[in-house]
Amino acid sequence: MSEPVIRMENIIKRYYEGKPNELQILNGINLEVNEGEFVSIVGESGSGKSTMMNIIGVLDRQSEGKYFLEGKDVNLMSDDERSAIRNNRIGFVFQNFNLLPRANALKNVMVPLMYNPNHQKNRQEKAMEMLRMVGMEDRATHRPNELSGGQKQRVAIARAMINDPAIILADEPTGALDSKTGHMVMDLFHRLHEEQGKTIVLITHSKELAQETQRIITLSDGNIVGNKENQNYRNVVEERKALSMGGEA
Amino acid sequence: MLIENIKEAITSIFSNKMRSILTMLGIIIGISSVITITTIGSSIKSTLNSTFNSLGGSSVTVYVDARYPETDEEWDTWEYPEMEKEDYITQEMVDELLEAYPDEFTGIVSQSSYQSGKVNGEDGKYANINSMGVTAGYMEYCKLDMQMGREITSADSNGAKRVCLVSDRMVNNYFGEENPLGKSISIDFADGTTADFVIVGVYEYNQVVFGKEDTSVAEKDRYTTVYLPIGTVFEMTETENNGYDYLDFTVDPTSDIQQATADATDFFSKFYEKNEKWTIEAYNMQSELGMINTVINVITVAISAIAAISLIVGGVGVMNIMLVSITERTREIGVRMALGAKAKVIRMQFIIEAIVLCLIGGFIGIAIGILNGVLLGKVAETLIQSMYSDYASYIVMSVHPSVRAILLSVFFSMLIGVFFGHYPAKKASKMEVIDALRYE
Ligand SMILES: Nc1ncnc2c1ncn2[C@@H]1O[C@H](COP(=O)(O)OP(=O)(O)OP(=O)(O)O)[C@@H](O)[C@H]1O
Ligand SMILES: [Mg+2]
Repeated sequence: MSEPVIRMENIIKRYYEGKPNELQILNGINLEVNEGEFVSIVGESGSGKSTMMNIIGVLDRQSEGKYFLEGKDVNLMSDDERSAIRNNRIGFVFQNFNLLPRANALKNVMVPLMYNPNHQKNRQEKAMEMLRMVGMEDRATHRPNELSGGQKQRVAIARAMINDPAIILADEPTGALDSKTGHMVMDLFHRLHEEQGKTIVLITHSKELAQETQRIITLSDGNIVGNKENQNYRNVVEERKALSMGGEA
Repeated sequence: MLIENIKEAITSIFSNKMRSILTMLGIIIGISSVITITTIGSSIKSTLNSTFNSLGGSSVTVYVDARYPETDEEWDTWEYPEMEKEDYITQEMVDELLEAYPDEFTGIVSQSSYQSGKVNGEDGKYANINSMGVTAGYMEYCKLDMQMGREITSADSNGAKRVCLVSDRMVNNYFGEENPLGKSISIDFADGTTADFVIVGVYEYNQVVFGKEDTSVAEKDRYTTVYLPIGTVFEMTETENNGYDYLDFTVDPTSDIQQATADATDFFSKFYEKNEKWTIEAYNMQSELGMINTVINVITVAISAIAAISLIVGGVGVMNIMLVSITERTREIGVRMALGAKAKVIRMQFIIEAIVLCLIGGFIGIAIGILNGVLLGKVAETLIQSMYSDYASYIVMSVHPSVRAILLSVFFSMLIGVFFGHYPAKKASKMEVIDALRYE
C-alpha cells in the first residue's frame, strides 16, 4: 500500500494550554486518507470536526501527535514551507466562502497563483479556465457582493483548484446554501473526484450528502467513533450519472 | 508581484478616499511647506545669480595690489607704494594668458580712470565730465546701451584715436537738439592739459552702473562719464607699456570660473614674484555670490527642517491608519495566508500600501508646494520690481522649484512610508492564520 495522502497519529488538540481553563478538543485522533479517496466527516456540533480539518489544512497546529501530509511531517516544516503547502498542496473551501470583497471573481481565483513562485505566467488564462470549469466564466468581473451564495462557493472552489492541489478540504461547503444549490456544489466535487481523481475531505451535517462519499468518519467529543466504507457510494454515483444525463437530454 | 501589490494598495487607498486624504494631510502639509520654502530659496538664489551674471558675473577681475606688511611694526611705517611703469600688467602678458588658456578666457575688458575735466564750448556752454579709458566690448560688459553711433573698437584703442562716447544726459545739456555725432569736443583736464575728441557714439545713462546721483548739484553741473579708447588714455598718460593695473577677463560660460580665477592668479603671479612692492590679486563675483548662496541655503534648510517636523506627525497618522486598516482587514489577511501568502509577502503588501499612501501625499504636497512657491515668487518679483523700478531690467526673477528638494521629498515620503508602515506591517505578518481567519 502506498503512503496515504493524510496520516494522523494520535493527534491531540488543546486550547488554553497550561491554563486553568484548559480544554482538550481532540483526544488522540488516528486517521488515514488515501490518494483519490472522497471522505466525509460527520458528527454533532462542537465535536471537533473543524478543529481537525484546520490541522489537516495546515491552518492550525496540533498540541501533540504527528501529522504527515504526502509522507512529510508537517510539524517539522518552517513557516514558509507551511505557506507553500497551503498554497499548492491544499485547496481549502470554507463554509463562509472567504472571498476577498474588493476583488472580482477572476482576481479572487488568481490570488493563490500570486503567491505561487512556480506559476507566474498566463495567470489570467489559467484563472479563466478554472472559472469555466465551475461554470462561472460569465461572472468573471463580478465582485463577491454581486454573486449568490452558490456562485460564491463555485468561485471559491475554482480558487481552491487553481494550483492543482493534492487534496481538497471542504468545511461545510454547502452549509450556507439551500439544498438545491448544495447539490450543485456537490456535483462539482464529484466531478473533481471522478474526472481528476482528487482526494477530497468533506465536513457535513447532512446525512444525505455524507451518503454520497466513499467513506464516512464520525467524530464525537474529539474521538473518532465511526470510520466505515459507504456501501451505497456506487449506487449514488450511478444514480447521479443517470440523473445528469437525463438532465442533459 | 510588486506591481500587483502597488495596484492592490491603490485600490485599498481609493476604497477609503476620505480617510486616506485625512491621513495624507500631515504629509501633504509637511511636503508642501518644504517645497514652498525651497522653491522660494532657490528662486532667490537663481535670481541673484542671473542678476549678478547680467552685471558681469562671469568674469575674472585681475588687479595689481600692494604687498601689505605682515607684522604690526611694519604697518606703522608702511606707506602705500607708488606704481612704477614696470609694475603694470602689460599687453604682452595679457596676450600670453589668452593664448595659454583659450578655453577659459574669451577676452579682456578693462578701464583706466583718467582725469575729470570740463568741456567748454562757445557761448559759455560747458559740461562737467569724468573721463575713462575702456577696451572694446566694455559697454556691452557693463550693460550700457548705445543710443546712437558706435562703441569703442580695438582699432580705436590700438591707434590711440581721439574719439569718445558721451552720455545722453550730457548731450541733452550741452547739445540740446543738435546731433552730437561727428562733433568735436575740447576737454580741459584737471591737470591743465587740453585735448580734442570726436564724438562717435552716445550711450544711455544708467543708474545701476553709475550709482545714485548727487542731487545737491544742479542737473547742468552734474558729472557724466566720457569714454575714451584705453589706448588713447595710455598714450596721454605716456604709459609706454600700455600697462593695466586693473582688468576684467571675460570667461567662457561653460568653463569653471573658480579654476579660471586660480589660473589667472598663478599666471600673473609669476611676473610679480620678484616685485617687492606689488603683487597680483584676482577674484570673481561668483565667489562672493557663493557666500550669499550659502547663507540662503542655510536659512532654507533650517526652515525646511522645522517644516519637516510636520512630516513626522504625518507619519504617525499613517501608522495609525495602517493599524486600523490591518485590524479591519484581519480576515482578509487570514484568507491570504490560508491561500499561501508568506509572512514576508503580507509584510511587503502593507509596507507598500504605507509607501503608496505617503507617496501620493508627497506628490500632492509637491504640487501644492510648487504652486505656492511660484505664486509667492511672482509676488516677490512684482514687489521688487515696483520697489526698484530703476533696476527692473537687471532683476531677472526666475522662479523654479528646487529639483533636489523635490527628489528629496519623494525619497522622504517613501522613507516615512517604510518607517511608519513597518510596525503595522510586521504586526499583520505575525498573525496566526487560524486566528486571523476566525477574527470577527
Ligand atoms: N480558538 C478556540 N479557542 C477555544 N476553544 C475553541 C476554539 N476553537 C474551537 N474551540 C472549541 O472546540 C470545540 C470544537 O469546535 P469545532 O469548531 O471543531 O467544532 P465543530 O465540530 O466544527 O462544530 P460545528 O459542526 O458546529 O462546526 C468547541 O467546543 C469549541 O468551543
Ligand atoms: Mg465546524
